[in-house]
Amino acid sequence: MADAEVSLSPALQPLHLSPSHSAPPPPPASSSPTTFSCPSSPSSASSSSSSSSSSSCSESSSDCPNHHSHRHHHHHHHHHHPRPQLQLPPPPHGEQPSSPSASPRSSSPSGSIGSTGSIASSSASEGIGSGVSSGGDQRGPSPLLDVISEDAMEMDLGVDPVIDPEVALKACQEVLLKVKMLDNKQQQDDQNQQQQHCADIPERCSPQWHINAETSSIREEDENEDEGPRDAATAAKTYQDPPSSAGLESSSQATSKQSWLLRLFESKLFDVSMAISYLYKSKEPGVQAYIGNRLFSFPDSEVDFYLPQLLNMYVHMDTEVGDAIRPYLIHRCKSSITFSLLSAWLLGAYSSDMHISTQRHSRGTKLRKLILSDELKPAGPASEAPRSASGSVSDSPLSSPPHRRCHRRHNSSNVEPSTSVCSVPDSPDQGEVFVSPTRRTHQRSKSDATVASSGPGASLRRTGSNPKVEAVHEEPERLRPQREFVKSLFGIGKRLATLPTKEQKTQRLISELSLLNHKLPARVWLPTADHQHHVCRVPHTQAVVLNSKDKAPYIIYVEVLECDSFETSPVPARIPETRIRTARSAENLDCGTMANANSSSMTSEHRAGSFSTVPNYDNDDEAWATDDIGQLQVEGEAQTSSSDNISQFSVDSITSLESKEPVFIAAGDIRRRLSENLAQTPTSFKRDPEDPSAVALKEPWEEKVRRIREASPYGHLPNWRLLSVIVKCGDDLRQELLAYQVLKQLQSIWQQERVPLWIKPYKILVMSSDSGMIEPVLNAVSLHQVRKQSQMSLLDYFLQEHGSFTTEAFLTAQRNFVQSCAGYSLICYLLQVKDRHNGNILLDSEGHIIHIDFGFILSSSPRNLGFETSAFKLTSEFVDVMGGLDGDMFIYYKMLMLQGLIAARKHMEKVLQIVEIMQQGSHLPCFHGSSTIRGLKERFHMSLTEEQLQLLVEQLVDGSMRSITTKLYDSFQYVTNGIM
Amino acid sequence: MSQVEKKAGLLRRTSSSKKPLKEKVVLMYDEIFAKEDPAKNNPRFWDELFLMKVNLEYLESKLESVDGEEVQRIQDNINSLFHHCVQALGEEHQIKVVNALQTLCALFRGVHQKNKSASGFDIINMLMGFDKAEQRMKDLMERLDSLLCGDSSESLKSLCLKLLLCLVTVTDNISQNTILEYVMINSIFEAILQILSDVSSRGQHGYDAVVLLALLVNYRKYESVNPYIVKLSIVDDEPTLDGMGMVVHQALAEYNRQYKDKEEENQGGFFSTLTSMVGSMFIADADEKLSVQTNEAILLALYEAVHLNRNFITVLAQSHPEIDIAATPTTPTPTTPTTPLGTTPPSLDMMNNPELPLDPNLQTSNLLITFLKYASIVMQDTKDEHRLNSARLCLIILTCIAEDQYADAFLHDDNMNFRVTLHRMPMRHRKKTVGKNIPSRPLVCAVLDLMVEFIVTHMMKDFPMDLYLRCVQIIHKLLCYQKKCRIRLHYTWRELWSALINLLKFLLSNETTLLAKHNIFHLALLIVNLFNMFITYGDTFLPTSNSYDELYYEIVRMHQVFDNLYCMVLRVSTNAGQWKEPASKVTHALVNVRAIINHFNPKIESYAAVNHISQLSEEQVLEVVRSNYDTLTLKLQDGLDQYERYSEQPKEAAFFKELVRSISLNVRKNVSLNNLSQDVLLKEFSTIS
Repeated sequence: MADAEVSLSPALQPLHLSPSHSAPPPPPASSSPTTFSCPSSPSSASSSSSSSSSSSCSESSSDCPNHHSHRHHHHHHHHHHPRPQLQLPPPPHGEQPSSPSASPRSSSPSGSIGSTGSIASSSASEGIGSGVSSGGDQRGPSPLLDVISEDAMEMDLGVDPVIDPEVALKACQEVLLKVKMLDNKQQQDDQNQQQQHCADIPERCSPQWHINAETSSIREEDENEDEGPRDAATAAKTYQDPPSSAGLESSSQATSKQSWLLRLFESKLFDVSMAISYLYKSKEPGVQAYIGNRLFSFPDSEVDFYLPQLLNMYVHMDTEVGDAIRPYLIHRCKSSITFSLLSAWLLGAYSSDMHISTQRHSRGTKLRKLILSDELKPAGPASEAPRSASGSVSDSPLSSPPHRRCHRRHNSSNVEPSTSVCSVPDSPDQGEVFVSPTRRTHQRSKSDATVASSGPGASLRRTGSNPKVEAVHEEPERLRPQREFVKSLFGIGKRLATLPTKEQKTQRLISELSLLNHKLPARVWLPTADHQHHVCRVPHTQAVVLNSKDKAPYIIYVEVLECDSFETSPVPARIPETRIRTARSAENLDCGTMANANSSSMTSEHRAGSFSTVPNYDNDDEAWATDDIGQLQVEGEAQTSSSDNISQFSVDSITSLESKEPVFIAAGDIRRRLSENLAQTPTSFKRDPEDPSAVALKEPWEEKVRRIREASPYGHLPNWRLLSVIVKCGDDLRQELLAYQVLKQLQSIWQQERVPLWIKPYKILVMSSDSGMIEPVLNAVSLHQVRKQSQMSLLDYFLQEHGSFTTEAFLTAQRNFVQSCAGYSLICYLLQVKDRHNGNILLDSEGHIIHIDFGFILSSSPRNLGFETSAFKLTSEFVDVMGGLDGDMFIYYKMLMLQGLIAARKHMEKVLQIVEIMQQGSHLPCFHGSSTIRGLKERFHMSLTEEQLQLLVEQLVDGSMRSITTKLYDSFQYVTNGIM
Repeated sequence: MSQVEKKAGLLRRTSSSKKPLKEKVVLMYDEIFAKEDPAKNNPRFWDELFLMKVNLEYLESKLESVDGEEVQRIQDNINSLFHHCVQALGEEHQIKVVNALQTLCALFRGVHQKNKSASGFDIINMLMGFDKAEQRMKDLMERLDSLLCGDSSESLKSLCLKLLLCLVTVTDNISQNTILEYVMINSIFEAILQILSDVSSRGQHGYDAVVLLALLVNYRKYESVNPYIVKLSIVDDEPTLDGMGMVVHQALAEYNRQYKDKEEENQGGFFSTLTSMVGSMFIADADEKLSVQTNEAILLALYEAVHLNRNFITVLAQSHPEIDIAATPTTPTPTTPTTPLGTTPPSLDMMNNPELPLDPNLQTSNLLITFLKYASIVMQDTKDEHRLNSARLCLIILTCIAEDQYADAFLHDDNMNFRVTLHRMPMRHRKKTVGKNIPSRPLVCAVLDLMVEFIVTHMMKDFPMDLYLRCVQIIHKLLCYQKKCRIRLHYTWRELWSALINLLKFLLSNETTLLAKHNIFHLALLIVNLFNMFITYGDTFLPTSNSYDELYYEIVRMHQVFDNLYCMVLRVSTNAGQWKEPASKVTHALVNVRAIINHFNPKIESYAAVNHISQLSEEQVLEVVRSNYDTLTLKLQDGLDQYERYSEQPKEAAFFKELVRSISLNVRKNVSLNNLSQDVLLKEFSTIS
């Protein structure tokens, strides 16, 4: 049984770790202080620094005046500890250990001392704590759910994909009971084993902590080395809390309602989307806390999609939700720089709508500060991160009523058995199964520990004197390089905005970026990318300012080198801009030294000669193209160059070649080749100083990549990639992010339902409430640019770009156009996307249209001029491309819309949820008014039959077609903004 | 201490005002030039000497007046003086260091003035003594190096550089300055680089450092191994190279600015602009110190950097606003490390200096643009020898740039567009172009404009053949790059074609006068081959199919020139004589041009006849051209896209020798001027400490 559950839920591991240990301390063990270090035992078994971790544990407790009693209290009721600490102005418990500065040191003991209040309360709960043993049984059902639901699920799988919770409940009731019995037994066994194991440790280590404490208080760097262990200690402390809560829990009843909910939660169908939904809707702290823990079990990437929702809830919803999410956030922040920064940026952005100095406000910003203070470093040698994170579940403010907390404890501890099993050293095979996630974290933290050991101060000094030491991947600070990178990009944007013309902006942009280049490569990355990488160069001349009236958004291309891990792989070494030149100069040096050696055998005349007798162009070209800049090759080249020099053609060679058979060419051929060559080159746009981006965006991406790669000193590296990003400064991208999420959701819904609607959600990075980055849509230019440059109708442009009506290429492009039109028509309708002028609609090289700029969605529209009343933009030009109103493709278009709407309707909740959560506390214009969600919901038309829906689609299309407002709006845009 | 000094200063001033009383320092100099060891009676003689304000003139004239026999007599004392100077450089007391530096300066100069004819070895012997020379110079260079690299005062560093400049320029021909051999052995290259890499020191001493480097590189350039050449060629530190570029950029920009100011001044009278501007503009003004002459040194430095160092090419394109970025070295604080990205130490650290000047009128510029503007000014008038040299050097630099693949890449980079306002000579038959109308284009367009401008404006009796050759070759090199890389530059090639045809016309009409001095056939051949490039390879680099038609139109339109040229070269090549060979080359090169003319002319005529039109419009001619390509056969000429790479040796060696000589003279003059102002500096020290 135990085996089964273990193997089934490896992903749950980090979650399990925390509550499990503290879970059911049997009476004898609980009274002995040795259990205190018990939590660290599983990991300490595998970690070399286990001893120090537990030693620092005792260190903190030693600060307490009534040493023994406090300690005692520690392992019983640790959940009380963090509580008072939360109230302290310095960051709460979990963060203290990792802070390199002196303040945490002082605050750490004060944290435990300051918990006098908690001592009082803990002593009050002491009695209950002793009741834990009995509580263990009562707590039974919830932990066992873990097990049972797996079984239930297997059953479910056979029967019906949809679980009827009540049926499932009944069906499993018996199994549940049985398993409970079984599991309890095993648990107790495990506990015993654990305690035996742990008992050894504090004794072994206790002498050590003295030394640690002394040295660390004196020297900062030592303290850094302590960090890990101390972190472990705090982790251990917090980690013990749940048991007592579990004890408290015993008094409260696990209602049947909860249990079926839990069973749903444990089912395979329970995905992140549902988790987020329940987290948002459930008022039950137990449920919230459970989901908070459950988040650990989902793949990071799936949770990441809902990060905006999670953070918005964290910022704007009540403390219970915040507390439920916090451990997960902290855990992820510790393990990932990327996550840390993304969270910090979003937290900043979502907090911006709040009134200053509200409590809620301070929660979001507090976490943000905590993240940015870089105190959430990965935990020390042992894989504490997850544990301390989930341990801090108990970080609940005093205000929260205790019994509520008990509920939560109850829920959070329901996964304990499995963990306690896995963490028991005596069960090696199970340990093996679990090892993979644990080991990964472990390794990571180990490598990070080395980083930490160098200490911020140390690495600072080093970078100051010799930047090349950086190669040994020591960072001044974890987050700093990236933050500086982003900061300077926005700095550029701000400065550009002050310049009057596009031309000046572009020139300035280029020169600013060339300065930025001096600092690359560095441990910075583009968050829009899918792969781990380091930014190595910004080909500054390729950057271009985009069209915008008063802001200065710009697009940059970024050369990156992919790597295994952005955080731990060494930063690539800098290659000078003129890589091959360096080799040439070296060759010159060789000449020089050689000349030196031979005294006068080689005169400087020769040398001077060799400087200038660089091989002729073709050779030169090869030298450029070759990646190997080895000395040998260069020397060889130098030789050929000299021989070439002799035989080099000069203009004089005509006479000497006269004897040769003359070659004749037809002038007509030259002329023909010229026009053919010109025709062959893909139609490029003409350079327009007023619209510098048109040319840059029109260039096929492949072409651009090839071109930039050729010119780049890093281009020869196999892991070289080109990325691009739009930097927006002065724009609030939160709505864009919301739109992206909705689009992404709809896209996956349509994929799931196999409706061939095509949309292209582009990634959005919100970095503050007025800045961010956008992933550019490749190979796409705006309809405005198409019009202005080609001076022809959209259909003619299609014919020019793709070929005549009957060609395969045209038909494909047309189909793409229709599918994307249908997709975006629905999007525009559902989201009420406004401001649909031609500058905001892109056309890609395959014929898809892509809507961009979701600045006006849902309840907001540009000004109140009454334009754009139509559901979406469907001009006669569009219809022409589709082959006219009577064409098959137009019918196909309407059919696609219907199918898309039906599919979307089916999964409406998934879409609604995204929007609804973001409405919390938001002042975004798209949430203006009270009916935003209702309106959105209504547009899904849940009540209509499919026939009625079809009619609706007809009406929508008809309305949009006939609507002169679209046309009116376009001409309005032309008058005001010069957009065609 | 400081009071004592002040007092002494006051005393000195009063005493020096009374002429009859000799300064104490002068008395001490006299002692040195006496037979006796001055320290014999006064053991603190040398200590005291360096506390005295130096009297440069007296010391120099004293040295000058020493004749041959006396030299022998006082050599020990002079050696001793030199030795103690070097020793004093290590003193903590800055006054002593300053005085020692100036004394050394006087020593070097005085000895050389005296021994103009004497060999270098005599000078070395006289100053240091043969046996000790090596050690003395080693000590001197080491001291200077540590002064330059250490954190001594800026004035002191400046003095060190002046001393070095003084030492380097004491002889007219730098290569005859044997003392420099020690400067070769004991390199101060690193010190120079350090000055250039640091923002603040670059601002104060960059100019001197760059000039010094340029001169040192030219020491026995062709005869021996010059370590400065080797070292300069391998520098790859970006901040340092940028720094060097910045110094050059600033010097050239300053010149451009002064020129512009003057031009505006002169614009007061409209008539005077037309008549006197060209002429009077360049008659050396007293206050034009910075312009032509000193800039030769800077140009030379630019040339050496471009020619020797491959990495420097990137600096040319390093764009920055026209004004140098305010240099405030930020002190690293724990919260804001100076290297936020943890890579290179910041030089133009925009992260610490995020405020680049934000003047909207400020054009973004780069070294190349400034250089092109400078060249356009310098090339306007080439009658003056300095300007001719500068123009030549500018063209040589452009040649090197045009040959460089990387430079070509950014010259042709379609994304790097700039408005480059070149200075155009005001001429009667054309309007002065208004700078604002110049479109923003790739940089190569500015280079081509500059070449066209030169071609158009220098067809004069005193024909600058050398410059013309370079000009046409630069165009050829750029075309070769475009052909090879298939870059279709949107340039109005027609302007170039007509300029070249006019040049041919000029050569023809002045055949006799020009032939007396120049091989005009070589230039004619280069020009004809440029046309051949367009004719046979036009398909690879012309921007539009129409431009190929226009080429034919232009050739056919100006067929008279080509006809005449053919007659001329045919005549010369049939006669025996020195021009037979070069002339016959031109005849062969003309084969395609003639084929075009012979093919299309009858067609055009018959078209006119058939349609009864006396004067065909351009469009009609183009139509004829377009419809008659297929019956025309051209001969493929070899080697059109090949060219001889630039090589300084042996062709240019003489030019550079002369150039360096002239720069040396100029620098020497300016250094001596500066020395006078060092009195001020000295006072500054005496009051400070």
